[in-house]
Amino acid sequence: MRAETSIESSRLNGVNRVFETISKITKNYAIIIGIFILTVIFSLASPYFFTYNNIRNIFQQTTTIAIVVIGQAMIVTSAEFDLSLGQNVCLTSCILAWLIKFGGVNPWIAILVTLVVGTAVGAFNGVFVSYVKIPAFIVTLGSQMISRGFAKIITQASPIPGMPKEIQFFGRGFIGGSQYGVPVSVVIMISFYVIFMLLMHYTKFGRSLYAIGGGAEAAYFAGIDVKKYKAITFTIAGTLCAISSVILVTRLDSAALTNGNLYEFDAMISCIIGGISLAGGRGKIIQALFGAIFLTLFFNGMTMLNVDPFVQDVLKGCVLIGAVVIDVIRNKR
Amino acid sequence: MNNNLLILDGISKSFPGVKALDRVSFEVKEGSIHALVGENGAGKSTLIKILAGIYQPDEGTITLAGEKVRFKTPYESLCKGISVVHQELKLSEPLSIAENIFLGNLIYKGIRVDWKSMRKKARELLDKFGMSIDVNEPVINLSVAQKQMIEICKAVNHNCRLLIMDEPSATLTEKEQKIMFETVRKLRANGITIIYISHRLEEIFDLADNVTVLRDGKCIGTVPVKDIDKRTLISMMVGRELVNEYPKEKFEVGETVLEVRNLCRKGVLKNISFKVRKGELVGIAGLVGSGRTELARAILGIDKIDSGEVLLYGKPIKFSNFRAAISSGFGLVPESRKTQGLVQILSVRNNICMASMEKVLSPSGLVSKRKEKEYSNEYVKKLDISTPSIETEVQYLSGGNQQKVVVAKWLLKGSDIIFLDEPTRGIDVGAKREIYLLINDLIRQGKVVIMISSELPEILGMSDRILVMHEGELKGELTREEATQEKILELCV
Repeated sequence: MRAETSIESSRLNGVNRVFETISKITKNYAIIIGIFILTVIFSLASPYFFTYNNIRNIFQQTTTIAIVVIGQAMIVTSAEFDLSLGQNVCLTSCILAWLIKFGGVNPWIAILVTLVVGTAVGAFNGVFVSYVKIPAFIVTLGSQMISRGFAKIITQASPIPGMPKEIQFFGRGFIGGSQYGVPVSVVIMISFYVIFMLLMHYTKFGRSLYAIGGGAEAAYFAGIDVKKYKAITFTIAGTLCAISSVILVTRLDSAALTNGNLYEFDAMISCIIGGISLAGGRGKIIQALFGAIFLTLFFNGMTMLNVDPFVQDVLKGCVLIGAVVIDVIRNKR
Repeated sequence: MNNNLLILDGISKSFPGVKALDRVSFEVKEGSIHALVGENGAGKSTLIKILAGIYQPDEGTITLAGEKVRFKTPYESLCKGISVVHQELKLSEPLSIAENIFLGNLIYKGIRVDWKSMRKKARELLDKFGMSIDVNEPVINLSVAQKQMIEICKAVNHNCRLLIMDEPSATLTEKEQKIMFETVRKLRANGITIIYISHRLEEIFDLADNVTVLRDGKCIGTVPVKDIDKRTLISMMVGRELVNEYPKEKFEVGETVLEVRNLCRKGVLKNISFKVRKGELVGIAGLVGSGRTELARAILGIDKIDSGEVLLYGKPIKFSNFRAAISSGFGLVPESRKTQGLVQILSVRNNICMASMEKVLSPSGLVSKRKEKEYSNEYVKKLDISTPSIETEVQYLSGGNQQKVVVAKWLLKGSDIIFLDEPTRGIDVGAKREIYLLINDLIRQGKVVIMISSELPEILGMSDRILVMHEGELKGELTREEATQEKILELCV
């Protein structure tokens, strides 16, 4: 009799554990449910939505923003934010295209220079936020304007089209043939997510960022070099912008002032709807990736349903506020 | 004159999973100072929030001056003459004193704010409490004590009959406390009834007429203060006899570990020299702002030293930053547990391992969760930290257990010289003793412990040697045998 009860209770425990795991997943990854619902709605509304080509297209479109999202997510985890990311992408796009088209530089060297510039913008942000102690809002707003200004100077406000064949595979290449293959950019994006997830969860650096975001003072009193780590985070975010711009320029086959426009906000929205706390210290980078996929999916579907692009902006704002409201309610409980 | 202003009858309040108040009944006499004591979690703050109209009771009645009342909002409570001075003061810092006093209650002349009469009335109020500051001064420029006075003025201006003060002395210096006590007595003389909440039992004997003890949401009793002694009061609070409040153990004194010679930091520390030996607990006493924390910060490389030197085992050392001090074996349990000691939203495991990431790496160089868990479980067990799991966020732990997590962090790091800055602040009586036992253990293991504390009984009860600081200077050094409360006070004022 007693044995039976214990079996019964252990089975109950098992069931409970399954429920617990489900509730944990839905709590942290509500975004996946959102992606699922959107997919169903759009698939029902348009026969072209749930096709291999369109899904692949969505992933390919996500790559550039998703790589920037990694940087923003790290910065948000450390309880800061970066407004310059979008214009960093713009600046590095323009520099890359200009060097190749007008500077006659070898494309690979041009990419290298682009990476250096992106990193330098990030480092500028990091140093001024950490060591000169100017609020991130001011510093990154300033570097946003500076970056945009330089991009205008370089391009004289006209697009620079036509990228050389040898680097086009970043944005347009497929592994396994163009019909059913996987886009190179998606492979790059996934590798970056794997690397940065490891970095955030299994290294001293990543763990320190969580501590800094959760309570910078307490992190300092545990012997964590708060300033250094914050500066590094901004710098890495800059490098990621440059990487994103390489993919963007080769995908669009052109650099223009519209490249990367508002990426910093899209990245922030991805973090928030993915479930990363703006207050810092909470959330996983992978959640932001789902946020970015959701966002791209949303706009892809809207475009497919011929929704006015101006209306799309309104909807984007609604999605953001809706996500935050849900987050607030969830945290209250 | 001896009728009851406030009668609480069978007040209960539950939150999901806890019964915060369980049929609490007591009476508060008009024109008295009524102390409310109890350990953390005993239900004091819930009770205050009910009186302030922030929470509504599930059952029970509140009778204020013969009238049954039920407050749905804080405003209703305020209108009935109940004011609360919270521990975290609720003033609008950039606004002037006058404006703060009249906040939510501005005087108008037609539709225009009547600044002139507001300033005049504010002036009268300040004069009444012997404050000579300009009423146009922004509140941000005031000291904590002055801000508290402004809160009190605000309450008086709201025609308050019942003033609830939540741990008003916690952040005041000794001198400021005396002034505050005088003010409270003055209020009583003016017929205002005061409910006074404090962790410091000495104050209650000094100030209060009656005391009500809460424990685990239940009212244990209400007694006149003159009929009770500290021992009985403590045993009412913790529900058992506390054998020995300060379980001091003596250890054999060994070699000198840390020596400070002529340490100076401009405007903060003046020519400080002392030695700390193995096996002894050195206590640093002094008023808030006397340079105790600053001394620790200077030794630990957090603040720059202008001149003088620090010797570790006879060898001069100089830390360019706090990290350097940590790697030389120093640890600091900081003054503010909540913001400096712990990252509240991270788990017990993360907090314990925070300073020792290099210890929890796997051979591949990545952080090993398994090692983190092993170490965390080890220290949770060793220090008897009561937590549902090592994955629980530290914000859900009690004060005493939180402090143990901070200590665990330095033990895992392997720190040999540990500075404790106000180690028992805001921790209840029972848990304090556990911290003292932990300090004994540290010294037994050969660690050097330096304790900074504002609580004289604690300094006297636990230290082998006492350094007394005043205005950045070391005013004297007393042995355990010669030290008394009076001698220390003499040196630090």
